[in-house]
Amino acid sequence: MTKPPRLADQLLEFFCAPHRLEEVQGDLYEEFAYQVRRVGERRARGRYWWSVLGFLKPFAIKRKQTVLRPNEHLTTNAMNPTMISNYFKIARRNLVRNKAFSAINMVGLGLGMACSLLILLWVQDERSVDGFHANGNRLFQIYERGYYDGKVEAAYETQGLLAEELKRVIPDVELASGLERSRTVTLEAGAKVSKADGSFAGADFFRMFSYPLVQGTPETALTTPEGVAISRKIAELFFGTPEKALGKSIRYENRDDLMVTAVFENLPANSSQQFDFLRSWKAYVKENQWVHNWSNTSPETLVQLRPGADPAKVEAKIKDFIYQYIPKTKGSRTELALQPYPEKYLNATFKNGQVDGGRIGYVRLFSLVAVFILLIACINFMNLATARSTRRAKEVGVRKVVGAVRSALIGQFMGEAVLLAFFSGILAVSLVLILLPAFNALTGKQLVLPVGQPVFWASLVALLVLTGLVSGSYPALFLSSMNPIRALKGRILSSGSGVTFFRKTLVVFQFSLSLILIVGMIVIYRQMGYIQSKNIGYDRENLLYVPLEGELVKKYNLFKEQAGQLPGIRTISRMKESPTVIGHHVGDISWVGKEPSLSVPFADAVVGFDFLKTMNLKLAEGRDFSREFGTDSLSFMVNEAAVKKIGYKNPIGQPMWWGNRQGKIIGVLKDFHFTSMHQAIEPLIVRLDENTKWGSILVRTEAGKTKEALASLEKICKELNPNFPFTYQFSDQEYAKLYNSEQVVSQLANAFAFLAIFISCLGLFGLAAFTAEQRTKEIGVRKVLGASVPSIVALLSANFLKPVAIAMLIAFPIAGYAMNRWLQGFAYQIRIEWWMFAVAGLLTVGIALLTVSFQSIKAALMNPVRSLRSE
Amino acid sequence: MKRSYLGEFEEIVLLTVAVMEGGAYGVAITHEISEQTSRSVRLNQVHAALERLEDKGMLKSEMGEPTAERGGRRKRLFTVTAYGRRTLQEIQDVRATLWTRLLNPFKPATSL
Repeated sequence: MTKPPRLADQLLEFFCAPHRLEEVQGDLYEEFAYQVRRVGERRARGRYWWSVLGFLKPFAIKRKQTVLRPNEHLTTNAMNPTMISNYFKIARRNLVRNKAFSAINMVGLGLGMACSLLILLWVQDERSVDGFHANGNRLFQIYERGYYDGKVEAAYETQGLLAEELKRVIPDVELASGLERSRTVTLEAGAKVSKADGSFAGADFFRMFSYPLVQGTPETALTTPEGVAISRKIAELFFGTPEKALGKSIRYENRDDLMVTAVFENLPANSSQQFDFLRSWKAYVKENQWVHNWSNTSPETLVQLRPGADPAKVEAKIKDFIYQYIPKTKGSRTELALQPYPEKYLNATFKNGQVDGGRIGYVRLFSLVAVFILLIACINFMNLATARSTRRAKEVGVRKVVGAVRSALIGQFMGEAVLLAFFSGILAVSLVLILLPAFNALTGKQLVLPVGQPVFWASLVALLVLTGLVSGSYPALFLSSMNPIRALKGRILSSGSGVTFFRKTLVVFQFSLSLILIVGMIVIYRQMGYIQSKNIGYDRENLLYVPLEGELVKKYNLFKEQAGQLPGIRTISRMKESPTVIGHHVGDISWVGKEPSLSVPFADAVVGFDFLKTMNLKLAEGRDFSREFGTDSLSFMVNEAAVKKIGYKNPIGQPMWWGNRQGKIIGVLKDFHFTSMHQAIEPLIVRLDENTKWGSILVRTEAGKTKEALASLEKICKELNPNFPFTYQFSDQEYAKLYNSEQVVSQLANAFAFLAIFISCLGLFGLAAFTAEQRTKEIGVRKVLGASVPSIVALLSANFLKPVAIAMLIAFPIAGYAMNRWLQGFAYQIRIEWWMFAVAGLLTVGIALLTVSFQSIKAALMNPVRSLRSE
Repeated sequence: MKRSYLGEFEEIVLLTVAVMEGGAYGVAITHEISEQTSRSVRLNQVHAALERLEDKGMLKSEMGEPTAERGGRRKRLFTVTAYGRRTLQEIQDVRATLWTRLLNPFKPATSL
């Protein structure tokens, strides 16, 4: 028998829908046989081709069967529009039916997400700091690593001439600039006087950093000694517009006349350097003769390497750089090292001479907390959805009986979770919008929701889908795995111990996280309290700082005399440095018996008479500087840490050298904290000089008479120093500023711990409801047989305390370890005590019990007749 | 009148299936129609019409016996459903009514 053309046949088999192929091909074969008989094989083949091509029509190609014939069933219908609309309908009905559960679920997830969103915004902002410099990958900050006394320490303070010399000597250093810490000074132009924060920087500064100039060029901004670059803000304040400012003169501290050589755009908030003006480095060198001695350090040094230069090689080359300028000493060594500038903001803490974290620790910590809180919320969602599955078991059973495949059910429940996550997402975004101002006030940032950026929405949707999938995964897998027969009989929930174990594990995990956060909260709170209340060695209450500037420099004695007689003021002294943080160090202190090779940096302070009285410092021995001794300008006071370092048995009257300045020790101060508690107390040397050109006037006021004292001070300042606006600082407030980031962390930790425990309890509440419902009959039987209400409550509650107890076992060691690490960052720290854990534990157990007992009591009070009749 | 619309070709296919009383399948229907109406009918047109009619519920089908001629493949045998019969009847009635209202019935002789 002749066969139809193979190729045409294959074509037909390729495009024709499988369920239609048999009849179509059969008909074609029959027709072919008929045609062969009628017109011969050759023409029959042609007609066969013609017929096959005729079937190249949509109706034959289309895969989807529209007509269901007997003994046929559809298999791929899970995603058709009817089913999808059915899923939506069922999801909506379920949400509406269990209003309380839906609300708990949505609020929990929404809170968790809002919290994570806030933290992520903060983290993103922290990471963006200093990231905007065009040459960022070639900018490096120099830090110095000192080996002495068997210790290694590092700091950002460098020699005053280091930048220039590096640029001159090292070929790979393209540009370099020093930068001194900003100070508040008084500027004056025409009739206007104002305070401004500013500093000194090298000529290359604006070529290195991408601070756009409105007026002037980066090359000429800071080249002349009297040149000054000012911000747009200052320019507008003094001259109206930046255009008018260029070339005008500004008086600095009523002392130097400067000329505006450039106006820069106001610095962005995400720059770690903040200043309103910059003066040229030439002026700095002229004003600070000590820079010519290379054992003194103070400013920061920043360099920009040539393109293609290898930082590691440059670092190796500059390691011993400073010994080209000072002789080597045995026993101590100072190395230069490079840190990429954009990394500095987050990594500015040193440990053993190496960069060792800094703010990055908080950034990582909070990222982790964000993930944890989201996870807790997701776990909640899982547990609550499992609880609700009691009611949906029948639905799943029916769906399975009428042919739902497992993947369809998983899809349905995942989809529902994602849908709910989207509702929570809306809630979360609204919450963030409401909370953002408060969060900004707390963290001192200007965060905004980047609503205009598609990236933000894309990542939000990604977060929602991820949250939905994670939180929906367990219910979806659990529900879809149910045996339909058992589900329809209503017996699913006696399901295997695996499910119960999984659920308990989740609860344990949840409570472990909450406990860790609570312990963290307590420790941070205590440490902050310790810092605030620790006796730092001087009395920071009722202490004011008034900047020593303008006419006051010359008229200080007059000021002291007049002010001392005014009401509310007790004593007055002066100090070149800020007493809150003494950052200046001298390296060339020597004493009798000092090993010539040893070089120990001393913190140094230059003060006026009555320093001890004003600061309320205690003397260990000796006396304060006094007018009665004419030679006191050649005397020193040191602190106990310094005496320990020096090793004098009876330090009073012993000689010491500060560079070439020889003097005697007249007093030993009891150690006091002159930097933050992160650092141990360093050796300190104090000398007397009432003729320094700047500094602070220290004013000790009488307790409770601050207002009068301020009024008196303002009056005198106006009289003596009319060109300068009167400003002052409170010592305790300055001190509190040292711990700004810790304060923020402390408050955030409180909020997060509260949130975590709240969300966890929401979950526990749901679970309690779940169990109570599941054991309705058991409770009924127990009651009929004579169980009392308390015994039933105890039975149900004990079930929930077990996971909390296990959570404690897991959480406490982790929390203890983590908080110990955090406390290591402080040189002066509290000890972690057992009661902190006890409080956290009791708090958690208490809250958990409260949550659970509500459901337990409700279940225990139920009339057994009703629960037993429910079958 | 509420019923599915039937095209002229569909009506012919439906009628042919009714006429063939159980022996109706693709090729047979095609041959029958081309013999009765003397127009060239293609197999795919018939299949498409059958599919549409089954979709509308006027036909139902089941698989018949395989034959050697068909390469061992089964036929799909169509029968008219009650709904299909009623539809045909209604079409017939409508036409009959219209014919009776024709005042000057065409004479076969004059129409030529």
